[in-house]
This record gives sequence, structure tokens and C-alpha cells, in this order.
Amino acid sequence: MRSHSQFDIGISGLGVTSAIGQGKAAFISALLEGRHRFDTMRRPGRQRPVREQPEESACDFIGAEIAALSVPEAISRSLLRTASFSGQVAVATLHEAWEEARLHEVPADRIGLVIGGSNLQQRELIQAHDAYRGREQFLRPTYGMSFMDSDLCGLCTEVFGIRGFAHTVGGASASGQVAVLESIHAVESGRVDVCIAMGALMDLSYWECQGLRSLGAMGSDRYAREPSLACRPFDRDRDGFIYGESCGVVVIERLSSAQRSGRPPYARVSGWGMVMDANRNPNPSTEGEVAAIKAALARAGLSSADIDYINPHGTGSTIGDITELDSIRQCGLAHARLNATKSITGHGLSAAGAVELIAVLLQMEAGRLHPTRNLDVPIQSSFNWVGRDAVLHSIENALNLSMGFGGVNTVVCLQRAA
Amino acid sequence: MSKESIVEVIIRHTREVIPSLEGHQVRPTDSLRALGANSIDRADIIMMTLESLSLNIPLVAMAKAENIGELAGIIHEKS
Repeated sequence: MRSHSQFDIGISGLGVTSAIGQGKAAFISALLEGRHRFDTMRRPGRQRPVREQPEESACDFIGAEIAALSVPEAISRSLLRTASFSGQVAVATLHEAWEEARLHEVPADRIGLVIGGSNLQQRELIQAHDAYRGREQFLRPTYGMSFMDSDLCGLCTEVFGIRGFAHTVGGASASGQVAVLESIHAVESGRVDVCIAMGALMDLSYWECQGLRSLGAMGSDRYAREPSLACRPFDRDRDGFIYGESCGVVVIERLSSAQRSGRPPYARVSGWGMVMDANRNPNPSTEGEVAAIKAALARAGLSSADIDYINPHGTGSTIGDITELDSIRQCGLAHARLNATKSITGHGLSAAGAVELIAVLLQMEAGRLHPTRNLDVPIQSSFNWVGRDAVLHSIENALNLSMGFGGVNTVVCLQRAA
Repeated sequence: MSKESIVEVIIRHTREVIPSLEGHQVRPTDSLRALGANSIDRADIIMMTLESLSLNIPLVAMAKAENIGELAGIIHEKS
């Protein structure tokens, strides 16, 4: 039986920054047009520094990077000076959600912040190590506070005057969605009235890229010279995920209190599930994914037939994509429309769970589903894919799936609020 | 290096750390705190100065300086 408190949680505002666009308008239009920015990555610290053999350039890391971040003028420049790239993106993205949900009208001590992600600032840490190796005594004192991920909490709470609570949570590539789940709990329990959930930008250095490549998780050996073809979730020729810089923020509160802005809430959070595989490794499991989906449906009081759209984790991982489709089929969900947001944005890792939840909300609002890039030969053709072109579709009940290394399976069920 | 040159280096880094000083004159008698530098900013300014001058002086030695001129004096003494 569904309790009132679970039924009453919704999303009243959002902010998104991604390589394909900053702000919700730019983001949804790029999604619907399938506009990507995959290329050889150029941000300092993203490629291995030493190339003794020219042919090694064929192994450059491919990804999608934010072209130019715009940070609102109102935010102190001296504060930004010591903020990492992840921190600056966090502030800019939260600003959009804050304004939309009119959070300045909510008492500061009734607002919480949960930031999803751990080891977020690796690229800048590595750059500092490289710059000061052998003359460590000159390392900037600010390193001593900014190396901690919780510096993003400090930064955001100072800029926006948040006084309820703030902390980070880690769940590998499901971190963004774990932040959403923790925020739901914080509102349900009455700890705060409004909780902001952020999937923070995970700023990979070449070390993480190399590790993820060596592990077989990150592509692309196959499309090293054709970056636009490298990211291909659920396609026969996929060879791993392709990274994409992004950050997503959603504002979670009771639907009954979410009327400040005059705009209706984006959606009701009707159910959720989180299940561990009891497995430290990166490999996924159908058992865990099915259990998480069933838990979300049970909480929502819905049957599989009620779900008309699924936003899957869909990274382009060889085993992950097959496992996920098997799980969806086992749950009787093969009828639902299905696309892959990562085929356009790339994989935001810690951000993915929040950014893809936002993709669901914006598609719900637009009445259209975005295309799936590079889905030339689907590994299973019997699903209800959105292929090359966007389609008209009115989402009533959607599932959003996130999975993370270490056996993390999370699912959120979103329902049209109006 | 002369004390005056050290003052110039400190002021250059102060401007880097506090961008809002652009267009304002900064004098040796100004205190970093009054210019808007918090304790973390001050530590960064001093460290950037020591790095520019390749001087290895413990930060604690600089704690007594009340203004930019006094800070330059301490650095000059220890260099």
C-alpha cells in the first residue's frame, strides 16, 4: 500500500550543464536534435603528457567537453578563483535550479544539499601535483581545503546561503541518482522542506581515463579516428562508454509545497529502488537490476504495463548493455519506448544519474523523445527503440535506471504530475 | 632583491587573488585584510610571492606583518 508521503514527493526545479549545452533550453534542444560534441579531448590534463611515438596519438582519449562555462555575474569572482572546474560547474548549474524553484523564498535552514560523486576533481589535483613535484613547499595553501570533494558543499552553501545540511554521497556511476534518493529521504523524514540533489561533474584526469580504458570500461579503440561514431550504446559495434562532462541538479520537495514559482512541478517521484549486488567488481547483474526495478514499481503502485518510457543506464558497455536489456525484458517492460541519452551527452559518471533524470523530465515537458545516436544495428531489435529521429510521445510513467561499479543498482520512477 | 621590488611582487599577486582591485591603487601601507583578502587568500598571496622569489621561508614567520610593506620587510630580511 502506498503511503501519502511517498506519493507526495516531486521535482520543482532543475539545472543542467553538459557538453551539448548549458541550461535546460539548450540541453533539450540539443538532445532532440541529437547534436553531440564528441571529439579528442583537449582540456589540460586529459591526455597522457608524453608521446614518444607519433602513432600513439591513435589512442587519444575521446569525450565530450563543455565549450565555455557561463557563471552568473552575481557570484563572487574571488570565490571562483579557488573553485575547481567541478565546483564552478556546480555553482552555475545550481544557480539555474535555485532561480527556477525560487529557493530564496524558502528559509535557509530548511534547505538541504546532497552532492553525488566522489573523487570529483582528479584532473586539477594531478595538474597541481605535476606543477609542484620537487618543489612541494610552494604548493598553494588552498589545496589543503579544496582537494576534498566536500569543498563543493562549502562553495555551494556559501554562494546560496544554504544552512540546513550538506554532504556528498558516492555510488560510482549511480552517484547522481543516489543523491536523488538521499534527497527524497531527507524530505520524507522532515529533516528539511526542500532538498537539492546534484550529480556533480567528475573531472577525469588522464590517469582515470587510462584506468577506465585498461579496465575495458571506456571505449574507443574501434573508433579512435572517428570520434563521432565512438559513443554507441546498445549498438552491435559499441566498445565501451565515452566520457561526457556534465552536471545535473534537481530540487526535491513535497508537491503540496512546490507552488512558489507558479509553474507546475516537473513530475512526481512515484517510486524508487536501490539494490546492491554484493559484488565489488564492475560487472552488472540482471538479478540486482530486476530487483531494483521491481522495488521502484512496487513503491509507485504501478505494474510494468503502466510504464511507457524507460531512460536506461545504457553506457555502451559490452556486457552492461546486454544485461540491462535482459533485465528490462524480464520485468515485462519491453513494450516501453527506449532511447539512450548517453549516445548524445556521453557518460557523466557521477553526474549521469541526475542528468538523465533531467532528460526524462524535459522530454516529458516537450512531449517528444530524443533520438539514439549511432544505433545502427541494435543488439536486440525487438525493443521499442527511438532511433535516428526524435518522436512524439507523451510520457505518463517513466523509469530511469542507473548502475555503478561495486554492484550499485538504482531506479527512479517518475510520473506526470499535472 | 630590494624591498621595493618585493612589494611589487606582493601587489601583483594580491591583484591576481582579488580581481576586484582592478583600477584601484594598492599601497605598501595597505593591509591585505583591508583589501578584502581572507586568511586563505592571504596564505595564497604569500605563497605565490615566495614561489616567484624562490624563497623557502616558513609561513608562520609572516604572521606578524600588519601591511604589505611590513610583509615585504620580513621577506627581505629572511631572503
